[in-house]
Order: sequence, then structure tokens, then C-alpha cells
Amino acid sequence: MLDKRFVIPLQEINREAFASSIPDFNHRSEIMKTDMGYKCTITNIVRLTEQEKLFQLRIIDNRERDIFKFKPGQFLMLELPGYGEVPISISSSNSNHEFIELCIRKAGHVTSALFTVDEGSHVAIRGPFGSSFPMDEMAGHNVLLIAGGLGVAPLRAPLFWINEHRDRFLNVHLLYGVKEPSQLLFTYQFDEWELINHITLHAIVEHPTGEWQGKSGIITELFDDISIDPENTYAVVCGPPVMFKCVCNYLDKLGIPMNRMFVSLERRMHCGMGKCCRCMVGSTFTCVDGPVFNYWSVMNLKEAI
Amino acid sequence: MHKGTTFEKLKIASFDFTCCEGCQLQLANRESTLTDFLDLLDIRNFREISSEQHNDYDIALIEGSISRPDEVERLQAIRRQAKTLVAFGTCACFGGVNSLKNRFSLNELAVEVYPGMEVETGLVKKISEVVKVDLSIPGCPVNKEEVERIVVSLVTGSQVTLPKYPVCIECKAQINTCLFDLGEICLGPITRAGCNAVCTTGKTPCLGCRGPAEEINMAAFLELVKERGLSENDLREKLAFYNAFEGLYQP
Amino acid sequence: MIYKVISKAEFKRFIDALVRNNSSFGPRQVDSDFRGKALYQFLPVASFDDIALDYTATSSSAKHFFLPFREELSRFIFHDEDWEQQITYDANPIVLIGLRPCDISALNILDDVLLNGHYPSPYYLAKRKNTFVIGMDHLPLPDCFCKSMNHHIVSSGFNLFCSDIGEEYYLSINSSKAFNFLKEFDTRDPLDEENCRLAERRKLISNSFLTEIDVTGLPSILDIEFDSPVWEKWGNKCLNCGTCAMVCPSCYCYSVEESMETNLNGAVRQKKLYSCNLVDFAEVAGGHNFRPKNGDRLKYRYYHQHRGFAENDNQQICVGCNRCGRACLSDINPKNVINDLRMEKESCLTNVLSSPCRR
Repeated sequence: MLDKRFVIPLQEINREAFASSIPDFNHRSEIMKTDMGYKCTITNIVRLTEQEKLFQLRIIDNRERDIFKFKPGQFLMLELPGYGEVPISISSSNSNHEFIELCIRKAGHVTSALFTVDEGSHVAIRGPFGSSFPMDEMAGHNVLLIAGGLGVAPLRAPLFWINEHRDRFLNVHLLYGVKEPSQLLFTYQFDEWELINHITLHAIVEHPTGEWQGKSGIITELFDDISIDPENTYAVVCGPPVMFKCVCNYLDKLGIPMNRMFVSLERRMHCGMGKCCRCMVGSTFTCVDGPVFNYWSVMNLKEAI
Repeated sequence: MHKGTTFEKLKIASFDFTCCEGCQLQLANRESTLTDFLDLLDIRNFREISSEQHNDYDIALIEGSISRPDEVERLQAIRRQAKTLVAFGTCACFGGVNSLKNRFSLNELAVEVYPGMEVETGLVKKISEVVKVDLSIPGCPVNKEEVERIVVSLVTGSQVTLPKYPVCIECKAQINTCLFDLGEICLGPITRAGCNAVCTTGKTPCLGCRGPAEEINMAAFLELVKERGLSENDLREKLAFYNAFEGLYQP
Repeated sequence: MIYKVISKAEFKRFIDALVRNNSSFGPRQVDSDFRGKALYQFLPVASFDDIALDYTATSSSAKHFFLPFREELSRFIFHDEDWEQQITYDANPIVLIGLRPCDISALNILDDVLLNGHYPSPYYLAKRKNTFVIGMDHLPLPDCFCKSMNHHIVSSGFNLFCSDIGEEYYLSINSSKAFNFLKEFDTRDPLDEENCRLAERRKLISNSFLTEIDVTGLPSILDIEFDSPVWEKWGNKCLNCGTCAMVCPSCYCYSVEESMETNLNGAVRQKKLYSCNLVDFAEVAGGHNFRPKNGDRLKYRYYHQHRGFAENDNQQICVGCNRCGRACLSDINPKNVINDLRMEKESCLTNVLSSPCRR
């Protein structure tokens, strides 16, 4: 028989109460869903290339859909039950409250499984997490969006923002480099971006194939085509690790201040919440302090690029 | 399964070569999930549990090493049929205990083991020395829990993975006393995890049946054994036991 | 905090009452090493006599009571072509007896990271709230350096802390729960003389440290020495086995894995404690490894332990228990690594300064 006087009582942690008491510490979003995901229906899947598909998701619950808000540059954790979670940056416009678009490359275990699911399937999302591009700060200036390969996916969200507020920006250039022409993403939107939104688009291909009419070479060669006023320009860079350094060095030489150059880094987050330390760069977390950093802070971070 | 994910049973066959058949026996182990496990399989050929034999399998589990010419032919025939050939268990992956035989002359062995009998026997080879191996599941015997996880991965189209880190991680999670503290040589620091440190939890030093973990630091390991004044002979015996560290040290 | 004094005989009755009525854990001898030295671990105890109160230090820390090596985060139940997610924060009340000040400091650091920072962890909170922590002071082992880290004395993070002042224990009572339990036992307010004996005891402990590490300015040194050859030197010895992080009381990095159940009717998302020394810690989808070398990974552990990450205001998380140093088969320990880093700089300092003097 237990002596009740000495039994330590169980203190239950109530899920709902705990979730509602979590402070929105950085005002980056109005929701904090840290462990339980929002259930979504995959409403549409578009195959973009051999390796990439665009998934359109819709949060099923009306209330949850209303409160899910994000800023361009943020990412979310996408869960396919039974397979696991992956961090994916959001590729759609943050003014679109009906759908979320994610451009996904078949690279690892979860993304390979995602490539086999059909429209109508259910997945879950946690987030949004991380920092975002300072769109309001960038307004009133020229903008260079520089994307290498799949790096165009996270840049699509700020691009939408710019398109929706086009009169607030001066010249906007999208510099986009890929290995082969077949890897170009969102080609079906190029005309719209150029003709309707007056974005100047420059694409370059490292290994051109037969039909390719455009430029060939590496992305920094595109800088020869543009003339910008470095004093009045913001640059946003996203691409594979090897690309950052040479592009940022180039921008630096052009005279763009480091605090006006933004990069979006990629690491393998496991939690999204600055706990698991898998995405550490230097002493900061790609998931909480990033993925969007200005170049000055990245320069300070050891191993960042 | 939920919507968007589909599965088909694996058309599987299991074959034994030079081995103790202990790894195959593991397939019938772990009764708590055995019926669920068998539901994932369409067993086409498996001498140990069914007399029915068909040759229309996709996945072939190969247990044992190769030590006779007729085994080579049989294995090559299996390779022609199988879409996925699995080296199943330590003997198949590395040669296993059987490889100890390679230290002696074949004549001497035949006389000692089969006196007065005509035997056809050769040097022991691991499966990958004879045919292409698609997937390796090491272990002496294989860990049924891991086999189950891999079978589920194959059925659901997930990536099949083995831990890249060494046994120490799993051993420390069991709050075990380090066997080096007890003055033993344990291969845990260089051996691939996935066994849940079953031997070391039972205070038996690891002999490395699961083979090397990824990017092991063999030089530092050999050095620390030396610095601790432990028997180099014992170390070499242990490293050679399953033939799993072949090429990673100077025997 | 309320201070009381309890006789050792009464203390035994008190601990017995707690242990017999709750799931309890305390230090027990598990083995003797090849030199004959006793080895201890935190294990279940059923009575006061099971507890090795005079233990030195446990080989593994008490971290896993709060951060299990494997922990279920979430469960997915599949049905009718759909699924449902379930989450529970399971924790049963336990009593943890005999934690050292450095162990409790480590819990306070984990609180900082996992509760006070961004996104508090309900899983950790449930376990922390349901653990009754009884601390015990001790004389340091020759290789303890918690004094250098300022963690040899602890003033929060426990329910009850006991200092051995001879015939009695001097109790620091830090929770109403502990206070209420103790009401049933014979305790009294400390006399002046006992306060003195506590001060003496603390002084003795403080003066008994044999190992000292100079950690002044260490965060900046670690930043500056990011490319130091010291990392390669120690990296060459490192086995990438992760033992240091497993036994550490404050290492909390982890990995998340999801596995489908064998009946394909559900899946479990699990958290697994990981180590930054493991080869695939910084590997991303597609196989690129951001820290491919031993030295890079070892450096990261020191970076995290002694420089600190943004999540807890760049505070060092090492408490100086030297469990990692004792457990490392390759004899890599914070004292030697940090001294090496300092030596590097100091030797170059001499070189720079000596030339003008000679002139």
C-alpha cells in the first residue's frame, strides 16, 4: 500500500492549454503550431521537370486556413505520414489564403515518396518557420533576384509580392541559372512576369542543348547584361552552396552594401524550432534565425557558405 | 495505409548457401508482429517454412557465403531472376565466421573435418565477390526488427537505410558500462549500429558482425588499443572474426 | 528557499518514505573497472539502502530522464484512406536522488534552451515538472572542472538540496512539495554553528578542485580559432562514436525519424538523441555533407559546448563534469583541447611580443 502523504502527484501537461500559451516571440507569424500539423489536401500536382513537381495544398479546416499566414522566404515542415517530414520553402504568394504552393525536388526519402502520391491525398504542415525577406524595406529600390537551380522556388514568393506591389519597386531583374535547359522551372510564367509585371528576366544555361537559343555559361556572366545603381539596389540570392560565394563576391564588387544582400540558406532541419541543432550554421540556426540572412551576418557565420 | 500510398506484397524467396541458416530463422522470430510481417510477403520459395517452391520471385534473400563451385552456379541463376538481391546476414555480406577457413590449406581442412571423404570445397567468398548485390542487411544473426523495418520500407517504396554511426551510440543509450573500462577490447566504436548493442548489453565485447560504420577512424582505434596496453593479438583475432574489416587494417 | 537541518537517521526515514511510494532513481554501483575503481549509474532504487550516497560520479548523466535517448513525438493512425495525428506528453512522476550541483546546473541550462527560448518543448516540460529532484553536494573528483565553469554550486533547479555537514544534512528546500513532505519528519531551523559548518563545507568543496580550465574569453577564442590546426589534431583522434554527447548532461541535439508500423496501419515519429560528432549530422538530402571531416565535427561540439548558440543567448552549456573526458576512448577531454587552443594563441603572442623586447 502506498502512503498517500508521500506520493508525488502527476502534473499533466495539457496540449491545448500549452499550445495556446506559447508566445509569438518574434511576431513572424500569427500561428504557432509546433508539434501537431495542419492537415491539408493536395489539390493539384504539376510536373515541372524530371526532378521537380509543384504541389498545391489547401488546409482543410476553415479556421486553421484563416490563421495560417506567412511571409515571403519562410518555410514549413511538410509531413507525409509514414514517411516523415521535410523542410520546404513556400513558393506561392502570401496574399493567397486559399492555397499554398510548394516546389519540391525529388532528392531524399520523403520527397521521393511524395512523388508517388496523387491529388486528393492528405499531408500535414507545421509552421511557417524562420525569417523572411524584408519586402517593405526593399520597396522603393531596384531589386536583383538571383536564383541557381531550385533556388528559384523560394524566390517565387518574393517575386509574387513584388508583382502584387509592382509600382512600389524600381527595376526588377530575375537572374536565373541552371545546368541544362530542361531544368528551367516555371517557364510557363516567364511571359507573364516579363510582359505583365515588367520583370526583366535573364536566364543562362551551363550546358546548352540543341534548341537552347539563350545565353550559356555560369550565372555571374549575366551581370554583364544589366546595369544597376548599386546605391539603390537590393539583391536576393538563392541557390546551391557553391553559388553563394561567387555571386555575393560579385555583388560586393559591384558596390551593393552587404546589408542589402540577402541569401536563403539550405540545411536539413529536423524540428524547425531551433532545438535539434541539425541546421546550425556557426552559432545560429538556419530554421529560427534564417533561412533568410543578410550577407553581413552570413559572412560572420563560420561555414555558412 | 492512407490515401495516396499504395503497396503490393513483396514476391520474395530465401536461399541458403554456406551458413547456419540462423538468419533465415530470424524471419520467423519476433512473434508479436509475425503475422503482420508475413502479410507483407508473398513467399515464393523458402525451404525453411514451406515446401512449395516457385521461381517467380522479385526479391532474393541470400544467406551464407560461397565456398563451392556449384554454389556459384546456383547464385548466378538466382541473380538472373531477382530484381533485388539481398546479402542477408554477416556471412553473405562479409564472408562471416566461415572466412576463418581461408587461413588454412584446403587439403588440411578436408582431412581434418571430413576424414576419409571426398569433398569439394574452395575458398570462402562473400556474395558481392560472385554477383552484384543490391542491398546488404548485416548481422550475425540479422536483427529481425531491422529486417522488418527494411521490408516495410521496400513495401512502401521508402528508402532503405542502415545507421551510419557506430554501436557506441546504442550501447550508451542502454546505460552500459564501457567494456574498455573492464579491460576488454570491444569493436563497438568502429562497428555499424542497428543491433541495439545486444552483445555489449550482455557484457560480451562487440566482434563487429555488422561490419564497419561509415568513415570509421581505424588508425585512432588501433592506436587506443595499443595505448591501453591491450593485447594486439586479441584485437587482430576480433577484427578477423567475421572478415568484416578486411582491407581496413594490416592483418 | 527555506533552510532546515535534518539528522542523518531521520534523513534515511525521509528518503525511504519517498522511495517506497514513488518510482525512484539514484546512484548505484554497477561495476568495478579493471583498476578496481567503482563505476556508478543512475538506476531504479527501492529503498534507501539501494542508494550509493557516497558515490563519486555516474558514468552517464541523468539527462535521459528528461530527454530520453528515444522518445515518441507523435503517432499517426491510418483509417479509411485517411489518417489522424495523436500527441501525448507522457510523464510519470519520479524521484531522482543524488544529483550533483553540476548535474542540476545542466538541467537549468536545458530549461533555458528547451523552455525559456523560442518554441518551448512540452515533451521536456512534462518530464521536468514531474521529476522531484534531490541534489547532494560532493567533493570533486580530480578531473572535475565545474568550478571553472562556475557550476560547483547550484541555487535553483531542484526541489531539495542536501549538504553534508557531519552528523546532519543541511537542507535547502526549494519547493512546497518538498516542504510538505518534510513536515512529516523531524527537522529544525539551522543554528548559527550549522550555518558556519555549511560555509566550511562549501569552502572545502571549492578548495578541493584539482583541475582548472581558463575559460575567460573562450567564446571569442573559439570564433577566432575556427580554422586552427588544433581541430585537425584532435579530430585525427576522434572515433566519431558520439559517446561524449550521449553521456553529457547538457547535449540535447537530436534527430527525428518516422517509421511505419509493420501492419501498415500507422506510423510513429520518434526523436533520437544524436551527436554532432556522428558522420551524418550535417548531411542534407542528396548527400551533401556540410561537415565532412572529423575535426569539423569535433569542433562543432566544442563550439556548442563552450561558445554557445543563439538559442540560449550564446551561453556556454558545458557544466564541467568531465563525463565526456572520462568516457572518451581516445582521451579527448575539454581540458586538453581548450588548453591547446589557448597555447596556440599564447605561443604566437610570445613570438609577436618578444621581438620588440630584444631590440
